[in-house]
Amino acid sequence: MITSTLASAPPSLRRPPAWHRLLWVAWRRYRTTLLGAAALLAVEAVYLVDRGDHMRSAYAAAEACQPRSAANCRFAFENFHDTYANVGFIGALLVWTPALIGVFAGAPLLARELETGTFRFAWTQGVGRLRWLVAHLVPGVLGVAVLCGAFGVLVSWYDHPLNASGIQPRLNSSEFPLTGMAVVGWGLAAYALGVVAGLVVRRVVPALAAGLAVWTGLAFLTAEVLRAHYASPRTTTSQQLAGRDLPIDQWWAHGGVRVSDAQINQALQAIGVQSLDGGGNFRTGPGSASVDPIQYLIAHGYSQWTSYQPASRFWPFQWIEFGWLACLSLLLLAVTFLWVRRRAA
Amino acid sequence: MNILETEALGRRYGGTWALRDCSLAIPEGHLVALVGPNGAGKTTLLNILVGLTGATTGNVSVLGGIPVGSPAALDAIAFVAQDMPLYRHLTVADTLHLTRNLNHDFDGAYARARLRDLGIAEKHRAGKLSGGQQAQLALTLALARHPRLLVLDEPTAPLDPLARHDFMATVMAAMAEDGLSVILSSHGLAELERVADYLVLIAHGVVRLDAPVDDLVARHRVVTGPVGEQNDPRWQVVESTAAGAQQHLLVRLQGPNDHVPDGWESRAAGVEELALAYLRESSVPTPLVPVEASR
Repeated sequence: MITSTLASAPPSLRRPPAWHRLLWVAWRRYRTTLLGAAALLAVEAVYLVDRGDHMRSAYAAAEACQPRSAANCRFAFENFHDTYANVGFIGALLVWTPALIGVFAGAPLLARELETGTFRFAWTQGVGRLRWLVAHLVPGVLGVAVLCGAFGVLVSWYDHPLNASGIQPRLNSSEFPLTGMAVVGWGLAAYALGVVAGLVVRRVVPALAAGLAVWTGLAFLTAEVLRAHYASPRTTTSQQLAGRDLPIDQWWAHGGVRVSDAQINQALQAIGVQSLDGGGNFRTGPGSASVDPIQYLIAHGYSQWTSYQPASRFWPFQWIEFGWLACLSLLLLAVTFLWVRRRAA
Repeated sequence: MNILETEALGRRYGGTWALRDCSLAIPEGHLVALVGPNGAGKTTLLNILVGLTGATTGNVSVLGGIPVGSPAALDAIAFVAQDMPLYRHLTVADTLHLTRNLNHDFDGAYARARLRDLGIAEKHRAGKLSGGQQAQLALTLALARHPRLLVLDEPTAPLDPLARHDFMATVMAAMAEDGLSVILSSHGLAELERVADYLVLIAHGVVRLDAPVDDLVARHRVVTGPVGEQNDPRWQVVESTAAGAQQHLLVRLQGPNDHVPDGWESRAAGVEELALAYLRESSVPTPLVPVEASR
């Protein structure tokens, strides 16, 4: 008895809104974060470019000094080392930059919707929540990747004289994750962790804190444990590593068998020297003979081993780190996608 | 065509059923009042209807058989959630632009004209508007999509009486112009009595009543007679109250016959009175009021 008088097109034939319209929605959401990230990178760029310029002049001066072994040249080089080996207060900010960019872009995405209840508005519009989500995640991922990539270029440029002079190997954990592909991976991981934290915690500020905390833990774990296992370290008995290789460990061996610090100390008691770290550092006790402890040990059948990651592994390691971080990020975003598809309220 | 059809629909949160064995068939073209106390399951039913929540058991479809949450359903249903969630930091103009970009069709001219009539300036932030203005903005965003079904979850709860009146007037005008159907939830019936023409009563997750208001009014009487007097066997007593020597019975009639025995008085039952009686009724509800004729 009730007849339809609605003359609209059959619903199944109506197409959802075009992607470029959704791009505006994503832009409107991210623009504050983008502005913040741009400001952060600008401050860092001004500082690093300025300091990098000075460092390059100082490095050129130290390099030009002849002969190298002269006291004034050694002093110039040591001065360069002391001035520039440590990046100073901004170092902590640099380490956290990919995390800040990624987490601040990712965590509010779902947390704010869930916290303020606006998901009930956003996810009941004609576009549907999955298109809505994709339209936010794709620009988010791309934006974070580009910003972090640019940051990585800046850091590589700054660190170049330090790498070239052998002060800091490129594999060093204060540089490696901030450059190349690895920094992109760390930015994406921060973004994905932020998004998932927002989904789980459902409030913006705790989600930011949770995202940063988990990212920091992961970064620490990677630097301390994981990265050294990307490939087995090489070993050498050479006394002098190339400055660009990354030393991992040092120990003494006798007849091909690793010996403990206690044994080394016992062996050195004869000349009154104590080994401090099982490597090349010794403390000379009172009344010690003027014998070089290393030469003494070598003369007595000991050999000193060093394990290290050669500088040539920089790019393979970069891709390994980027690879697993990208996989982790994709996995987290896929979980988010499935969750949003499955349930909402 | 039925605007909403559910069959044994249920939704469980943890161990608690928010909605149980809900079977409804609501025809097109009505303003449906979904009434029940707080926590009755109204919001759960509406969330399922707009695709925000999945059902645990049963079937549900909208607009003549479209699955809930499908692109076609999302496109044709506009939802104004409880407390009118809006992006508080966005200006009214940006909110309009946002909604336009999230929908296939959005009648921006209609929306701007309505907001102008309401005196809501587009440069203001949504969060700075008064409660009544926020409600009107949320409603305008929904209506500018020209939906076939408008779903409103407790829209009038945060409003003062004047804003409430204006809000309902807007809804009624849109119904008249666009021919859309409206489902509106509320924990009270007072303000809906005059506008709703279809009533769904829900309590403790169970549907108690589901019928056009005219049918309900025609089928129920309040009869008053002496205490202890035998009831007419054709009456099904929904609620009885005694006042002194008199008893008032709200009864459901078996047929259209309005005859009352000597010594009894009969009057029409008000919608609110009727709804309250059914909400109080503690027994398991009998299958719906006989309204087959009107289906």
